[in-house]
Amino acid sequence: MKNLKNHSMRWRYFKQNVFFVLVRASALVITLALGGILLYILANGISVISWDFITKPPTDSMTKGGIMPAILGTIYLTIGAIAIGLPLGIASAVYLTEYARQGRVIRLIKVGINCLAGVPSVVFGLFGLGFFVIFLKFGSSILSGSLTLGFLILPTIIGASEEALKAVPQTFREASLSLGVSKWQTIYRIVLPNALPGILTGSILGIGRAAGETAPIMFTAAAYFTAKLPGSVFDEVMALPYHIYVLATAGTNIEATRPIQFGTVLVLVAVVLGIDLIAILIRGSMRRNKRW
Amino acid sequence: MEAGDIISVNRVNFYYGAVRALTDISMTFKKNKVTALIGPSGCGKSTLLRLLNRMNELIDATKVEGEILFEGRNIYAPDVDPVEIRRKIGMVFQKPNPFPKTIHNNISYGPKLTGTSVADMDALVEQSLKQAVLWDEVKDILNKSAMNLSGGQQQRLCIARALAMKPDILLMDEPTSALDPISTAKIEELIEELKENYTIIIVTHNMQQAARVSDETAFFYLGNLIEYNKTEKIFTKPDVKQTEDYITGRFG
Repeated sequence: MKNLKNHSMRWRYFKQNVFFVLVRASALVITLALGGILLYILANGISVISWDFITKPPTDSMTKGGIMPAILGTIYLTIGAIAIGLPLGIASAVYLTEYARQGRVIRLIKVGINCLAGVPSVVFGLFGLGFFVIFLKFGSSILSGSLTLGFLILPTIIGASEEALKAVPQTFREASLSLGVSKWQTIYRIVLPNALPGILTGSILGIGRAAGETAPIMFTAAAYFTAKLPGSVFDEVMALPYHIYVLATAGTNIEATRPIQFGTVLVLVAVVLGIDLIAILIRGSMRRNKRW
Repeated sequence: MEAGDIISVNRVNFYYGAVRALTDISMTFKKNKVTALIGPSGCGKSTLLRLLNRMNELIDATKVEGEILFEGRNIYAPDVDPVEIRRKIGMVFQKPNPFPKTIHNNISYGPKLTGTSVADMDALVEQSLKQAVLWDEVKDILNKSAMNLSGGQQQRLCIARALAMKPDILLMDEPTSALDPISTAKIEELIEELKENYTIIIVTHNMQQAARVSDETAFFYLGNLIEYNKTEKIFTKPDVKQTEDYITGRFG
């Protein structure tokens, strides 16, 4: 009897260990792959990074010089996408979770939003071209590109916001309403402040996507080359992802610009990390104030 | 309604979807008295309590029939704003639910947002905390988070928060069920003091508590009001056999 028990215990520990090894191995593979990519970019790109590279426009048919217009363009487009996607996404999520009567219509809308998240980004690009660039006559511009990217990240932001709003304890809403505070005041003063850190966490993913996407801005915002900086939201801009695409596929001298391509990729990764970092810091300061 | 009555429930039915949770309830609550609602789980006592300040409509697919008269008005009439009603009928919940704000801001939250003109907010905060017998424990930490208080202190803070709105009626939904015996005793003493100025309606699972704190007791079973009488009468010689069985612990 004792032996049998020992045997089954040992078997269970063995299974547990096998699983632990598998789980650890998966984590390791992911980390190595990610680290490998980053190191590869760093190793190949670091040589071209210099003050001039990030502050000067390209020269000699983009085979020399810097990428400053593309950096600025990407920052403008990303900020524009956040400015459009975040308020719209949060407002939609507030409606869906706080106001709408849960039923078939709302379920259908939610399915629609999830489908939108799976739509290829080039489709968003074509939509942006048809609707913002041509129909609304915004032209290929920061405005069109920001709107397109904003719509692209909308499902991510709505999803994250819905989860964050649902995570705010129902007892907070009840406590506020029971004091005779109106529903909107309850949402504005209690629910939203407590949901914001969660909303930002999810939105960081969207921000990264907005900065890195090529297809949506190809038809709506990105210029092949422009040395002048945008003067208004109706101007075209260069953008890092599109610049990489151009250099790697349609440049005047693809081989010669290889180091610049790596350098641009490195800068793009750094810009995305930088924007994420700002969001993380904002979230951190909010979390310090809110706690339950 | 007679003189001395503050709120009266007339032939009320209540439904969660297709399920009827309350059947033909009629009763009146007396001003400046403590009324206890007792009964086994699922008997409808909390549902009735939450009908009195229209909190049940936060739940989708619910339906009310009948009327509830407060200050001579049916609070379920189409032209009545539930927000108005809740300013006059405060509520304390089963689990202490302070906001993740400072103690001071927890109290001032209601008066500030409802546009009540308060000449001296600090004085109102102090007065409310004193009424809830919490002032001495927190007077030096008013700007600290309410989340650092103990469960019992949090519940008294929630009572103070409700009192800051100067309601006519205070509804309490099992206010001590999440608290230890000492905190429970403090809340019960507090209820005794508060009935000087407020009408209190309390739902409780604890029969000793109902016997200790209330003047009137209503016994519910399966969505019906079985017996409603003076607490002393209910706990000594109830008229209905079911009431007796429940209070002597034969079921529930």
